[in-house]
Amino acid sequence: MSIAEPDSRQGAPAPKRRRFARLDRFSGNKFLIFGISVVALSIFLAAFGAAISPYDPIEATGDISVPPPPIVEWPRLFYLAVSGQLERPPHWFGTDQSGLDVFSRVISAPRADMSIALGGALISLFLGTFLGLIAGFYRNWATELMMRISDVLQAFPVFITAMILVALAGRETGNLVLALVLVYTPIFIRLTRSEVMGQSARGYVQAAWAVGNYGFKIAVKHVLPNSLVPSLVQLSVTVGFAIILTAGLSFVGAGVRPPTPEWGIMISIGAQQLILGEWWPSIFPGLAITVTVFGYAVVGHAIEQKFREA
Amino acid sequence: MIGRFILRRVIIAFFQLLGVSLVVFFLIRLLPADPVANLVGLNASDDAYAQAERSLGLDKSIFEQLSVFLGFSEDPGLVDASLGISWMTNEPVFLEIGRFLPVTLELVTLSLLLSFLIAIPLGMASATKPGSIADKVALIWGMFAGAQPDYWWGLLFVFVFFYVLGVAPPPMGSIDPMMSRPSVITGFLTIDSLLLGRFDVFISVLFHLMLPVVTLVFVISGAITKMVRQNMVRALSSDYILYAQACGLSKKEVGRYALRAALTPAVTLVGIFYMILLSAAVTVELVFSLSGIGQYAIRSILTFDYPAIQGVVLTVALLSLFIYLILDIIHAYLDPRVQY
Repeated sequence: MSIAEPDSRQGAPAPKRRRFARLDRFSGNKFLIFGISVVALSIFLAAFGAAISPYDPIEATGDISVPPPPIVEWPRLFYLAVSGQLERPPHWFGTDQSGLDVFSRVISAPRADMSIALGGALISLFLGTFLGLIAGFYRNWATELMMRISDVLQAFPVFITAMILVALAGRETGNLVLALVLVYTPIFIRLTRSEVMGQSARGYVQAAWAVGNYGFKIAVKHVLPNSLVPSLVQLSVTVGFAIILTAGLSFVGAGVRPPTPEWGIMISIGAQQLILGEWWPSIFPGLAITVTVFGYAVVGHAIEQKFREA
Repeated sequence: MIGRFILRRVIIAFFQLLGVSLVVFFLIRLLPADPVANLVGLNASDDAYAQAERSLGLDKSIFEQLSVFLGFSEDPGLVDASLGISWMTNEPVFLEIGRFLPVTLELVTLSLLLSFLIAIPLGMASATKPGSIADKVALIWGMFAGAQPDYWWGLLFVFVFFYVLGVAPPPMGSIDPMMSRPSVITGFLTIDSLLLGRFDVFISVLFHLMLPVVTLVFVISGAITKMVRQNMVRALSSDYILYAQACGLSKKEVGRYALRAALTPAVTLVGIFYMILLSAAVTVELVFSLSGIGQYAIRSILTFDYPAIQGVVLTVALLSLFIYLILDIIHAYLDPRVQY
């Protein structure tokens, strides 16, 4: 950031205009609004999806393989459903071959998918940032050993490793989170470490040493906040990858157990019928994954842009 | 000089592989899975259980098992390269992997080549004309297709191109089921059919590879476009390009110089993309019923077939180390600044 910013000149009309410019840039960016809405919606549905779903996501409705109503009918159906003129809520996304309501399952699935993906990504972020900070700040044989271990971990094929961990440890939510942590933490260690190593040579760290701070305080209070950006950008990318991995594991039969509402399971169940033309049981959950992952990628890109400008 | 460099890398790779084998070996035995119960069923008598445990060698101590795995006993192990005997098929794991791996390599290599054919022009156009339509397409494509559920896109393509349009074969393997498979020479169906002059088989194989390849190209080309764009932007702003422009070279010539400079550091990234594709291939093979290494991995992991799991992980690790080594050598040839 240059010193001659209009902001720094007091009394000039520039600050106001600049604030609006920033607001413009923010609201003008339709993508970013889309991304933030997706992230918010994914978290909202993780919390309340099962509560607001029109049908029980794991109980058969008796309507087997009902196709979704044509999209032009949706406004009329929505009006009828809201005004209470229908006996039962419509099957917006149809039902699958065992009679489960696809819409209810799609909006209940974030409970499993998002809590595993967010949990795995956030724990990886905290653990990886902490270990990376230590590895970058204190350079000795112990941290060197840690880096070599994380090298070996990164040499493992991600999907196969996660599959082994979950299948052999038991297909429980906790084990899935653990597998994600094991696979993704080395990335955050490496990112934070290289950033910390760059920061440690800077003047403000020298100054902090010079006034007599002790090492750990400098690391946490001064170096850490300045080394977080790459990890935060990586976080949203990792959430996306973690969603794909979580759903992928259940798609191949090594993830959350059916009949839990979960996008990967739904795609896998629907896949058998897809080839016969029954597209809705697997297309809608996949669409949910695609949109969610894209939303997180957009937010990650925006974070990256913002900090690069600053 | 290059000989010493390769030798050193091979020695390091050997220790890395040893590390990977040991980690896999202990990891799968530490996890609370019960392969014996999986084999004999939960209602088996204690006798049957004990007998199965003995036949799998799981009654031995973990260090005895390790020595068997490494091949220091009369049973087949790592040293005689059989990688042990699969518990499910009683076949040497090495032979099985030799049958499954070519299918995957064929799929992944073809997909990577095609992705680069798409990504290089798109990334270049985007870098040379910032703000243009090509630039916007590349940016959104990079964000969108950099991370997508390949298994779902595969199914979507099957629905559209097989069920609706009828221009693609059903997702049932890598060759027309009515066709006799060519005898195995290399294991790569495309190469074997050409060597034997069976052009009907060759066409059928390509036909069946079409959708899986499109799926993989779709999910990886965005990331590659992004990478090409970044490297190209960096190359275009470098001093020697400024110099080339100052000398009055045409835009086309400058672009050619920049492309070479942009792609040289990217050579090492090809390995990473190859590995990502190999991971993605696991689910894509499942969707299209291709009997590749991914299907083999799923089967052995879900049946707790320890020798096969160890074999798969070792094979993939060996493959990645080999690819990284080859790419480093290519990189060294392309970039005269690289010191061994």
